[in-house]
Amino acid sequence: MKLEINFQKLKETVLLIDKVANKHLTLPVLSCILIEVKKNTAIFKATNLDVGIEVSVPVKANEDGVLAVPASILSSFVSQIFNDNQVAKLETVSNNLNLTTSKSKGTIKTVPFEDFPSIPQVVDGQSFSLAPELFVKGLKSVWYSSSVSSVKPELSSVYVYSDGNNLIFAATDSFRLAEKKIKTSSTSRISDILIPFKNIPDIIRVLENMGENADIQLSKNLISFKARDIYLVSRLIDGVFPDYRQIIPKNFSTEAVLLKQDLINALKISNIFSDKFNQIHMVVDPKGKVFEVQTKNNDVGENNTTVDAALTGEKIEINFNYKYVADCFQSIEADSVSLQLSGVNRPMVIRPVSGDQSFMYLAMPMNR
Amino acid sequence: MYCCIFQRLSESLERSLCENTSTLGAKSEGCNKKVGGSSYSSQADRVRENTSAEVCVHYKHLINIFYGSPQVCRIINRYILGTPMQDYSKMWQTALIEIQTGVSQANFSTWFKETNIVKEEEGTIYLGVPNSFTQEWLVKKFHNSILRILRQMNEHVRALEYVIVKDESGKKSEMNKKSANTPTMSMPLQDFYINKEDNLNPRYTFENFVVGPFNELAHAASQTVIKSPGAIYNPLFIYGSTGRGKTHLIQAVGNQIKKVYPNKKVYYMTSERFGSEFFVAIQDGKVQPFKDRYRKYDVMIMDDVQFFSHKEKFQEELFHFFNTFHDTGRQLVFSSDRHPNVIPGLEDRLRGRFSVGMIVDIPEPDHESRMAIVQTKCAVHSITLSTEIIEIISNSIEDNIREIEGIINVIACQTQLRNRELSVNEIKNILKNSAKPKKTVQIKDIVKIISDFYNIDEDSIYNKTRRKEVVRPRQVLMYILREDFSISFPSIGEKLGGRDHTTVIHSYEKIKEELKGDPVLSQEINQVRSML
Repeated sequence: MKLEINFQKLKETVLLIDKVANKHLTLPVLSCILIEVKKNTAIFKATNLDVGIEVSVPVKANEDGVLAVPASILSSFVSQIFNDNQVAKLETVSNNLNLTTSKSKGTIKTVPFEDFPSIPQVVDGQSFSLAPELFVKGLKSVWYSSSVSSVKPELSSVYVYSDGNNLIFAATDSFRLAEKKIKTSSTSRISDILIPFKNIPDIIRVLENMGENADIQLSKNLISFKARDIYLVSRLIDGVFPDYRQIIPKNFSTEAVLLKQDLINALKISNIFSDKFNQIHMVVDPKGKVFEVQTKNNDVGENNTTVDAALTGEKIEINFNYKYVADCFQSIEADSVSLQLSGVNRPMVIRPVSGDQSFMYLAMPMNR
Repeated sequence: MYCCIFQRLSESLERSLCENTSTLGAKSEGCNKKVGGSSYSSQADRVRENTSAEVCVHYKHLINIFYGSPQVCRIINRYILGTPMQDYSKMWQTALIEIQTGVSQANFSTWFKETNIVKEEEGTIYLGVPNSFTQEWLVKKFHNSILRILRQMNEHVRALEYVIVKDESGKKSEMNKKSANTPTMSMPLQDFYINKEDNLNPRYTFENFVVGPFNELAHAASQTVIKSPGAIYNPLFIYGSTGRGKTHLIQAVGNQIKKVYPNKKVYYMTSERFGSEFFVAIQDGKVQPFKDRYRKYDVMIMDDVQFFSHKEKFQEELFHFFNTFHDTGRQLVFSSDRHPNVIPGLEDRLRGRFSVGMIVDIPEPDHESRMAIVQTKCAVHSITLSTEIIEIISNSIEDNIREIEGIINVIACQTQLRNRELSVNEIKNILKNSAKPKKTVQIKDIVKIISDFYNIDEDSIYNKTRRKEVVRPRQVLMYILREDFSISFPSIGEKLGGRDHTTVIHSYEKIKEELKGDPVLSQEINQVRSML
């Protein structure tokens, strides 16, 4: 193999896919990036058997060929070269890859590529096209609510399904739940899918580089995204997501509307004094016109912070885990939020007030 | 005479085949101990070839003589063509040993470790793989060699297909422990897992179904259905009043059938849904797709068929639906709150069809069963109650398991909130607040229920007519009013069209006397009572 490539392009590509190539216990070649050169195109591939990525880059090839190099070495090398505006030369010389830039020359030991798995294609799937940024928005709005434990695979995933014109993203770890509706232009229904939580960062990173439009293909076990020069495929979870809509309270007994930033600040202060369970005590008293957040830690001290709020309904005192409440504000763009409560052992519903109403969040209270 | 020969020959064939299979097993195990690796597999192969050659001789011989005897064919199929499930895993283990010699260790442990043979159909082996990457790689690199190895082991293997199987290696027990330790309450998500393909709620299984003397008949009938779906009790009709566990039982049947026979398509729906979907289908002029959709299932479970009462159009559709299923030997399971014979406004042909299979009643749970249920439900919430409290709960709620469940939920919630065990008095208070208030019923309503039940005109009860079909219901009505509601004889007479109190006394005594020797009548009266 012998080729010339735009260095900036090489660097971008390697840094885009190198995180997927990880150490694998039984198949060492998975920690490599595979480079296939054919007819003036180089295809860079990496996979961890959960996600697979292929990026094609135009090159000036003098000699076709295939090779596998350890991803960490290649990426560390190219990321330390800052002169992007140059042409890099890649050449294999007896099981080594010679990478030549204007000032630096590296010789990297290659790995036998024969065991590098082929990246599956979705065949006979449903297909639709969508702007990748919308998909990314949906994933980003909910994925932090997924369960990190692998006990229930369907909960350590993001659930995506279509409902009329909307593509709905939902995730829950059973302590909180986030739901985001994304308006799409097409009305075609897709079947429900569960994308594994641990693939989401890779998917988001790659989709953000995909440009304006992507073809999405779905089968029972795979989802693939394809733009001009990038192909991404991820495993799907074969399972059933609970019908969470039945958990969303239909009505509420107390409502508080506050400025989002005020609430975030109050929560941040209170978190300094929260105990090892991150417990915050919330007092909502519409009659006394008080919205107060209290925390107490026997080793540190205690704190009361009030927040200006428009309150309606009955008085309630309720406990939450700080993290489970604070997490949702990253997905709310509106200035003010509404908190709806319907009893000490019922979930709190958090929604943005005014503007984009497509997000909804549930947080379960604490027992004590 | 011929029958006799068939019988004896097929028996001996079966025995010889059994022996061959077992000697094969023994020999190959011996090989395994003596030598490992490739020499093992070649020896095993030779043994296998010998055996299958012998078997083939038998097989051809018999085919010539007894061609067409279903019994012989069945045995041959069982022993030669369809290897039982446990043999697949043995077969695959042997194949893996051979495969291992041909590939690198890295490849073997990455691609072959989590594979197994899922099933075999007409010579096609279905290989279960953990994900699409494995599927892709096996197809690309190892397809031919796997197929060759499998074919060497069993010459009837014709093709190899891959299926991606779910990884369900027992992870469930961890979950409960974890949620008990975290102070944040968790959402009751486990209640909302409904599989869209079959509509079954996986929560309803036989593992959490409490069997007591009151429902053991229904339980046994369901087990029979699971053993041979569509064959013995078809349809299975379960009835009993609300909250006795009908839905749990029939859904458990569905879930169990799914587990035992992965190929069978099960579908659960409520009659109400069948009705409303049929209605929509008629409106849209899409009756045929509606029919086709449901007829593709192997097991159909329909809840609450009493909903069909007085709905002739739905009944007609259900009738055809029933015939399609029953004639093709596919299992039907129904539930209702009463016996099909006393569902008012049900066509006779449908009634007759419901009675073809097995009709079982789930009566009121007895005291011990109620206690067992309370204990099981407590275990689910991981709370412990003293025997005294269990006794109090099971005494205060007699006929409705769902109410017991509700009470336990309240107790569990309160225990969690207060973070201590509840006292007897507190439990009594909960019971007092949540127990269902005594219903007040008007005489007019009872008249309506009875006239519906006996399918007579409501007014005729009040009229002076002495037609036989009216007299009996009227007497039953008087009996119930006196016995259950302790209304005085004169006022009963007055309310029912100004009759003399002696008429009422006579009717009351008559029914009371007849009840002693007439089980049908007592059943009728119990049915009426359950509807009040």
